[in-house]
Amino acid sequence: MVDQLPNLGREKEMLEFMGMSSIDDLFADIPEAVRMTEELPLPPPQSEEEIIADARRLLGANVALGDRVNFLGAGLNRNYVPASVFQLITRGEFLTSYTPYQPEVSQGMLQAMWEFQTLVSELVGLEVSNLSVYDVSTAAAEALTCAVRVHNRKAEQKDTVYVSELVPPSRRSVIYNYTQGGGIEVKTLRHNSDGTLDLDSLAQAAGSCGVYVEQPNPLGILDGGLTRVKEIIGENTAFIVGAAPVSLGVIEAPGNYGADIVVGEGQALGSPITYGGPLYGIFACTKAYLRQMPGRIVGRSIDVDGKEAFCLTLSTREQHIRRHRATSNICTNETLIALMGAMHMSLLGPEGLAKLAQRNMAACHLAKQKLSEIPTIAIPHQNNSHFNEFVVELPGAAAECIAYLDTQGLIGGFDLSAWYPERKNWLLVSFSDQTKATEIELLAAHLAVWSASLQGVSA
Amino acid sequence: MSHLFEHNGADGRGYSQPDPVIPVDNIQIPSNLVRSNSPRWPRLSEPEMVRHYTWLSTRNFGIDTGFYPLGSCTMKHNPRVNEVIAQLPGIADIHPLQPEHQIQGTLAIFHEMQEMLAICAGMDDVTLQPVAGAQGEFTAIRCIQEYFRSRGELGRTKVIVPDSAHGTNPASAAMAGFEIIEIPSQEDGRIDLNALRAVVGDDTAAMMITNPSTLGLFEPEIAQAAEIVHEAGGQMYYDGANFNAILGRTSPGLMGFDAVHYNLHKTFSQPHGGGGPGSGPIGVKSHLAQFLPGPVVKKRPILAGDQLTSVNQEWWYHWHQPANSIGKVQQWHGNSGAVIRCWAYYRRYGRSLKTMSEHAVLNANYLRHRIIMEAEKAGVRHLFADGAPVDVVKHEFTISMAPMKEECGIGAMDIAKGLLDKGYMAPTVYFPLIVPECMMVEPTETESKETLDQFAKKFVEVLQEDPDVLHNAPVTTKVRRVDEVYAARNLTLSYPFDE
Repeated sequence: MVDQLPNLGREKEMLEFMGMSSIDDLFADIPEAVRMTEELPLPPPQSEEEIIADARRLLGANVALGDRVNFLGAGLNRNYVPASVFQLITRGEFLTSYTPYQPEVSQGMLQAMWEFQTLVSELVGLEVSNLSVYDVSTAAAEALTCAVRVHNRKAEQKDTVYVSELVPPSRRSVIYNYTQGGGIEVKTLRHNSDGTLDLDSLAQAAGSCGVYVEQPNPLGILDGGLTRVKEIIGENTAFIVGAAPVSLGVIEAPGNYGADIVVGEGQALGSPITYGGPLYGIFACTKAYLRQMPGRIVGRSIDVDGKEAFCLTLSTREQHIRRHRATSNICTNETLIALMGAMHMSLLGPEGLAKLAQRNMAACHLAKQKLSEIPTIAIPHQNNSHFNEFVVELPGAAAECIAYLDTQGLIGGFDLSAWYPERKNWLLVSFSDQTKATEIELLAAHLAVWSASLQGVSA
Repeated sequence: MSHLFEHNGADGRGYSQPDPVIPVDNIQIPSNLVRSNSPRWPRLSEPEMVRHYTWLSTRNFGIDTGFYPLGSCTMKHNPRVNEVIAQLPGIADIHPLQPEHQIQGTLAIFHEMQEMLAICAGMDDVTLQPVAGAQGEFTAIRCIQEYFRSRGELGRTKVIVPDSAHGTNPASAAMAGFEIIEIPSQEDGRIDLNALRAVVGDDTAAMMITNPSTLGLFEPEIAQAAEIVHEAGGQMYYDGANFNAILGRTSPGLMGFDAVHYNLHKTFSQPHGGGGPGSGPIGVKSHLAQFLPGPVVKKRPILAGDQLTSVNQEWWYHWHQPANSIGKVQQWHGNSGAVIRCWAYYRRYGRSLKTMSEHAVLNANYLRHRIIMEAEKAGVRHLFADGAPVDVVKHEFTISMAPMKEECGIGAMDIAKGLLDKGYMAPTVYFPLIVPECMMVEPTETESKETLDQFAKKFVEVLQEDPDVLHNAPVTTKVRRVDEVYAARNLTLSYPFDE
């Protein structure tokens, strides 16, 4: 028996008021030829307690990251999110509202998102932020199409953008799907053998519409060379940086070294990983890109009494007004997750953010020290600075190492051959504020045992 | 007034953190990458932060606050057990790159959702990856694009949309590179088959249409429309925004559609969250399945060597990459948290999803009749017109305030603001564009008869208000009418620290 319908049992009374006798009368306008004649072949309704029992049984069969010692990240990081964030977003006024089309009764969410825009602007060092897109992959894709809209007219390389070769295939695929319709060609930027961007070959991107690189890059490397990108590519090519927001507690804001657009995976600020969604994509830019940017933007205004008030603004960029000429098709975005981000950022403050970044960095640094002491494995980019993650080169296949670590109760990291097929022996290990020194010791011990056993076999 | 950025306690860290695992002094950062200025973030203690956001929440209107008849958005009650389930570590604390044997429970739920969504829409295959309705539209149009490319039909460059379509339809198709052909609707808002016949041809890739339409009307000639498009070699795409009206009564598959998107945040109660997150899975007929974004979940019987996580496990669930997949539209597996919530919602109804849709339609028709009855009783029926002159509507209906605008200068926006003063969220206004001074009302199935009766009364009270009062409305809200032109002319998109 379903239990969410207040008018169950009152159908007759309501139908009679309308001069009808049966529910079928309400569906008389559906031609017989397209009517469903059988019942839906689905199970009967369940009660709340049965559903939650099933959910606990099914989801309880999963291995949660918190059940294990975990080194899997690859762009998603398990930072601690304070309890008050989870408590506050269950408030129905936030949770059950929708896009604030009626600003007079939506000031709460509008102001919260205007504050979110400010927090993000300050974080990345750019003047303008929207109130989120879906995730970093769509943010990067939308940044590239935005760059083309802004620069194509003057570009020497029309409809052309450049993307770092390290950007993982999953993100690259999203970028392809978003750009192919506009006839945009996505060219590749090379990296040096130490993982940093090849600034010599970057010169070829000058005159294109935009360049997309990540800081830290997908191998966890902090690349000082990125501070020179803007001077190399010039004014008429957008410099787009995908940044890890937590890193910006210690690492320079990309807006301060010439970035025109900054995107990022917001998740580590405010949100659990949740199997990769919902997340929120950060999208910030300079004023020059404002009118071509995707997504919703909140502006400060006044009401008829001159009192401060907030409302959505610059809507003429958007699909509900501009239709097929809109800057993006985005409508529903990730507001509630962005709100969680705003709450987390508010609690951190500038000093808390710096400390959070230091904790992430320290765990990564300690792990690099410990793992570099193991003679049977190598750290190919050891001399670089890293944030959250780095590559370990194993004496055997990373997939096998991960399987071994799994038997020892460790989620051992990510097999990079999934991204770069020639790198069979590359393991990407990730560390966050939640990583303990003892866990790093454990990883080092197991990696040493596994690597030595492999060397024993081959010897 | 509480301003986040005016909180600036000397040492107001909102939560204390353990120290880094090693002292940070000896960690090298390239000198040109050391942050040169701190973000001007506020400094709040936890009590201040909790109070600030609680204060903000009191200035926001949700379904929990009151009746929210926002047409086309299906603002139904969001069952709370779904929130509890979505916070379980088996979903909140798992990573999309974990191996299959660690996430069999999630894959089992995803598989069940794929099957359920396919059944309800009469489709053959489903992907859960798109994260919003608009992204679902885009994804399906991309699949159709690759389908034609695979057949060498490169001349199919046009997508047809009715003038009553959601703005996302043309925007999504344009993003995929298609030219948009908009066709006019008939007087009564229904699809004009002659207009359709006039534009279809060997350059037609697809028609995008929602049924019931944005006027809340079921398209009686939908099968004929599908036939016209199919005969021309095009594909039929179903915008699932209005799917809440028809579950168990008909399906896009029966109507002749090839692809459909679902709005899990509409039909399946994922909370709208002030603007998101949503979830926009798509379903397709078998000829399009090989192009779906990957991977999708499949199941097979248990084999020796499978690392079973539950003694009762009957099937092994695994990821499967469609043969000619368009790739990814979100880099992981979509908004999984939303999918889990909607699974809990679906379990609440099971095959009674049909009853759910029946009550959505019952409530919409009842409210429409109730408003007309109250208006006639008060002698103000002449102030508004039906958006479409029909006997029954589906899950929503439209009314035009053009007569009232004509008579006393009060339009849909003024009525909307008047309703805010009565404690309601306003219906959608000025959409669809083909109805002048349009108000689009969707009560959903989770509103009681008493709420609908009361709303009808209050709506008619608003119609009877002095025009000056309505021009000035709202007056009971936290702020009064907001100047949107001022916001656009005086762009202040972040806190003005220097002001």
